[in-house]
Amino acid sequence: MSLLELKDVSKVYGELHALEKANLKVDKGEWIAIMGPSGSGKSTMMNIIGCMDRPSSGQVIFDGRDITKESRKKLTEFHRDKIGLVFQQFHLINYLNAVENVMVAQYYHSMPDEKEALEALERVGLKDRARHLPSQLSGGEQQRVCIARALINSPELILADEPTGNLDEANENIVLDIFRQLHKEGTSLIVVTHDPEVGEVAQRIVRLDHGKIISDKKNESFSEGE
Amino acid sequence: MNKKRRMFVRMVTASLVRRRSRMIVALLAIIVGATILSGLGMIYFDVPRQMSAQFRSYGANIIFTPSDDGYIDKDSLEKGISCFSKEQLEGYTPYRYENTSIHNIPVTLAGTDFSGVLKTSPYWHINGSMPSSDGEALIGAKAAEKLGISVGDSISAQNSFEVTDETDLTGIPDYEIYTDPETGEKYCDHMLELKAAGILETGGSEEEYIYVTLADIQSLTLSDRGYDIVEVSVAAMQDELKDYLKQVGEKTPDISARLVKRVTASESTVLTKLEALVLIVTIVVLALTMICVATTMTAVIAERRKEIGLRKALGAQNSSIMAEFLSEGLVLGGVGGIAGSLLGFVFADIVSMNVFSSPITFRPLLLPITIAASVIVTGLACMIPIKSAVEVDPALVLKGE
Repeated sequence: MSLLELKDVSKVYGELHALEKANLKVDKGEWIAIMGPSGSGKSTMMNIIGCMDRPSSGQVIFDGRDITKESRKKLTEFHRDKIGLVFQQFHLINYLNAVENVMVAQYYHSMPDEKEALEALERVGLKDRARHLPSQLSGGEQQRVCIARALINSPELILADEPTGNLDEANENIVLDIFRQLHKEGTSLIVVTHDPEVGEVAQRIVRLDHGKIISDKKNESFSEGE
Repeated sequence: MNKKRRMFVRMVTASLVRRRSRMIVALLAIIVGATILSGLGMIYFDVPRQMSAQFRSYGANIIFTPSDDGYIDKDSLEKGISCFSKEQLEGYTPYRYENTSIHNIPVTLAGTDFSGVLKTSPYWHINGSMPSSDGEALIGAKAAEKLGISVGDSISAQNSFEVTDETDLTGIPDYEIYTDPETGEKYCDHMLELKAAGILETGGSEEEYIYVTLADIQSLTLSDRGYDIVEVSVAAMQDELKDYLKQVGEKTPDISARLVKRVTASESTVLTKLEALVLIVTIVVLALTMICVATTMTAVIAERRKEIGLRKALGAQNSSIMAEFLSEGLVLGGVGGIAGSLLGFVFADIVSMNVFSSPITFRPLLLPITIAASVIVTGLACMIPIKSAVEVDPALVLKGE
């Protein structure tokens, strides 16, 4: 069953067509990599899927609901309930420790629960770093806190924007292992990246160039066990 | 407290405590503002009291005179004086005048209480010293010149009165009786030996008198007839003084109390202008402080744009972000207000000690007013930048644009 569907979605900034009649269908539990060079429209697509931006035209159907017509408030609520975001720059709140950063997502979603937040940190191997401030964590650890924060509300979709862009190889592998685990558990994943190694581990690879989807293929080398 | 509220408190506390280097800057701005507000407030409300006390160096501002041709007796004076608040009554001095002669030159002797004179006429300039006991006199500069008296000279004051029965004079030292050859009436010349303790210079009519103690004048005249005039010095404003006069009039009908207009009117004028000046300075400083606090809070919030964008990306509604940031501002405003109101008292006291040489009166009501003003100003100062900050597009902010 399809979780997300983009129907002829375009985004125009003045003369610039950041996204042009993009059509994309994402099934529940699917792991998709969106790849392309800088300025290809990856971030625009991510912002539209993540309900942080609206398309100039077209429809975005999420879980059977056309979210392009929703009010800003409803859109915020929808995004909060359905999507977990992972950022390249981690974007942790610097004065809150790891567990508090995870609890912030709970706070805006429903009810903060420290025990659940610690469990989420345990899933990403950071339970013993729960009381550390972001400044006391390495880049890889910060990204894992960011993933724990994205997971905490059990979203239907994890949307990751260049999640390994600021990490070394060892931390990149840790993050990708976490994504594999999430995929196995049935979480849908959309990973925006320009890194072929990150793209190659996804189930499906969508390539963008100049705002257009130029290819959308299953990754033949994808393996659940990798 | 439910988990959500606890998390709210945890976030606000963490922001205030763990970002303390940033928060201290904002807090200092608020404390400075609150200190100035509280300090100038205390000075503004204390200026009338302080100035009234300062104006007392100009001399008495109320005069008691007998309401008829008689004199003011001691009981009436005590009743009249009891109308004034002890805190405001600086002092009072009774005067009793008698025409006498010294070296056969007519001169007016004024019997008074020299300890009261120091309070009601602090501007008196004395060469020599103030009489400290009976038998000593303070000679007005003009009288001294007329009589050729210098400090330390001995003088003999003479009082003449008709004698009907010589037995009345029993026990009185230093007197001579003589008979008027034309009328045959007997007169007594009673003498009082005095020592000139000091020469009085005021530039006014006081220089024409010779001041002695009340006991001396009673001894010279052989009479305890009461006072001709009483000077009263009260540290109060004109309207309050008028109320006092009304009370004195009601309580002691034999005393006619009136204001010394040249003193009270000029005091009132100077004070009104001074109050206006302090008020204007307070308002200007307060406005500048508000701008300073608003600028600081704007800067503090502007640097958290990314955090606001992140919170929005995590699903926070604008109202929720505003509540969090505003709470931080209100806590800062409250803490800054408490610290500032106390420091303001210290500041006002230092100013008062330096300007008026007396401590400031602590006005407890200014504490809650300062704290409330500090919270409101900080809240308003936060609202403007927060309102614009929550309108940010999270996607752009998180991309670093």
